[in-house]
Amino acid sequence: MISRAASVSPPSAPLLRDPILVLPLAVAAGLALGWGGLHNGVSGGEVAVDLALCWCLVGASLVALGWARWRHARLLLALAAMLVLAGDLQWLNAAGPWTVGLVLGLAWVAVMIQLVLTYPDGRPWSRPAQVTVVGGYLAAPIGGLAAALVTVDSRNALSILPSQSATDTIGRVRAALGCAVLVSALLLVLWRLLSLRGAARRAQAPLLVSVVLALPLTAAWLAQEALTGHDPSTRVATVARALMALIPLGFVAAIGWSRLRRTQASDLVVDLRSAGAQTLRDRLARALGDPTLELAYRLADGRYVDESGEPAVVPDVQGRAVTLLSSSDEVLAALVHDPALLDEPALVESVRATAGLVLENERLAAEGRAQLAQVRASRARLVAATDEERRRIERDLHDGAQQRLVAVCVAIGLAAGRADPGLAEVLRSAQDELEEAIGDLRALARGIHPTLLREDGLDAALEAIARRAPVPVTIQGAVDARLAPEVELAAYFFATEALTNTVKHAAASRATVHVQHSHDRLRVTVSDDGVGGATLSPSGGLAGLRDRIEALDGTMAIRSDPAGGTIVVAELPCGS
Amino acid sequence: MCDDERMPIRVLIVDDHPDFRAVARELLEAAGYVVSGEAAGVQEAIAAVGAQSPDVVLLDVGLPDGSGFDVASQLSRDPSGPVVVLVSSRAAEDYGRRIARCGARGFLSKSRLSAATLASVLG
Repeated sequence: MISRAASVSPPSAPLLRDPILVLPLAVAAGLALGWGGLHNGVSGGEVAVDLALCWCLVGASLVALGWARWRHARLLLALAAMLVLAGDLQWLNAAGPWTVGLVLGLAWVAVMIQLVLTYPDGRPWSRPAQVTVVGGYLAAPIGGLAAALVTVDSRNALSILPSQSATDTIGRVRAALGCAVLVSALLLVLWRLLSLRGAARRAQAPLLVSVVLALPLTAAWLAQEALTGHDPSTRVATVARALMALIPLGFVAAIGWSRLRRTQASDLVVDLRSAGAQTLRDRLARALGDPTLELAYRLADGRYVDESGEPAVVPDVQGRAVTLLSSSDEVLAALVHDPALLDEPALVESVRATAGLVLENERLAAEGRAQLAQVRASRARLVAATDEERRRIERDLHDGAQQRLVAVCVAIGLAAGRADPGLAEVLRSAQDELEEAIGDLRALARGIHPTLLREDGLDAALEAIARRAPVPVTIQGAVDARLAPEVELAAYFFATEALTNTVKHAAASRATVHVQHSHDRLRVTVSDDGVGGATLSPSGGLAGLRDRIEALDGTMAIRSDPAGGTIVVAELPCGS
Repeated sequence: MCDDERMPIRVLIVDDHPDFRAVARELLEAAGYVVSGEAAGVQEAIAAVGAQSPDVVLLDVGLPDGSGFDVASQLSRDPSGPVVVLVSSRAAEDYGRRIARCGARGFLSKSRLSAATLASVLG
């Protein structure tokens, strides 16, 4: 149903592929080590903390088992657990294990720093993060090896250059480096916590907060060791190690939070079906926690439209991520969202699986709206083309026939002045007839496309209509501005037609044209005190005008009282 | 209608239709006006007024390179300039208040043009 990019995992050893095998190993090794430690005088608290830390790490690794994308983190967690146990080999007095414990003593901290600073995608966050990770490995396993070469101890199998002063110096340098690594990691985590937002912040905050809580005590402990050359008390070290267990717990919390959000996403099924007032986009935006989310439906011809059917652009830019929603082979829609959502693939996946149920319907609706918008646009273009044609005809009449007739009329007048009285009378009569004809032609031209409206706007044109009307017409209100030509023309034709009807059919004694203009609406009301009972005949002039007005997204209404009086109202969007 | 004892009134005819200019010239000359010249557009009209200093400009509203209203406004700014009478094949009501605002002395529908109607506008 839903397409997704396949994630291919490289083949790996069974232990790495499946850290569940680490579990019995960790339990057995931990118990054996704990028994050995207790036998050699290690405190019960110390043993308990280390075993708890180890098993928290193993547990977190197991929790991450089901997600391919967290394979990297899960391996690091299992490795850290094993290294905790390796460090505890120092609890045994046998030379070999003790030396391994000495070398690998704090290596688990370096692994956990790597885990944190490469979360969630396995790559270091930044160059400073990369340096910090390397610093961790220098301080712990490599520093441990250096220390082993000089440490004076009968159990040390690697003691090649035993020297107490060198041991002290290396110890202090390791502590200082370790402290610097922890402080750097702490600052990087704090910075990330503050700079992340949206889905990524939600997904990573539990882990980042756990790091902020876990690291300071260990850093302080290392700082003290670097400054004084002495280990702090065992109790501080034990508490510091116990706090480090917060990190695997934070990791588990982050995964758990994502699972919780997935539950919310499955609630979406119910939510999506009970459409309500919210659009699918709004519901998806809420379910994904991304207010910037855009939903673009793909039409059969490959274009994208939004829910209202308006053309939409699916961006191919940085800073926006696109998730395609498809049914079998056909792409239905595209989600354009914050790339941070890619950090919650489970959430996005369940949302898009859920949305697929209603997407097809919504897309068909959007397609219908897009076709409607196309029809509306073509209707508006037809009106505009008609207006242009009317304007051309008016100009042709004026420049052609009217000019010639006028010249003839003046010439006849001239001839009349020179003719004898009998002929002069005939000529003057012809001139009068011709003037009448020219007057008719002017009225015809004015009805086709009024010059006064084009030149001076609606107010002047309405005043002229009122002056010409055979019944007294009062103009109330004014536009006081120039509007779009098609709006002015529609309003003018509307008022002209309404007044023509008043004169022809209403037997009115007076009429009123009321003009109201707000910032984006023009309302023209024509009322009379005539006989009333008027209706909108489908073949009438007003019905034709209603088409023109609706093509501009306007409305027209008529209210005619059988007892008398008619009110016709046109309302037009004018966007000025 | 000029009084023979006074200086004849000099008229500049501005219109882009040669037929109309010809018939208007004949009509005015028959009535004793002197046609100082003819112009077919805004630029020509302004130049002719400067060169000929006519008493009256018979000015068509619709000219190919601009509006007669603009020419009228420009000419009426000079108190010693000519009297402007607008003419058009359209009716006065097609122009609303622009006729009154442009500083012209009056408006004549072309079909009504005669020595008598011009004299009545000139007063």
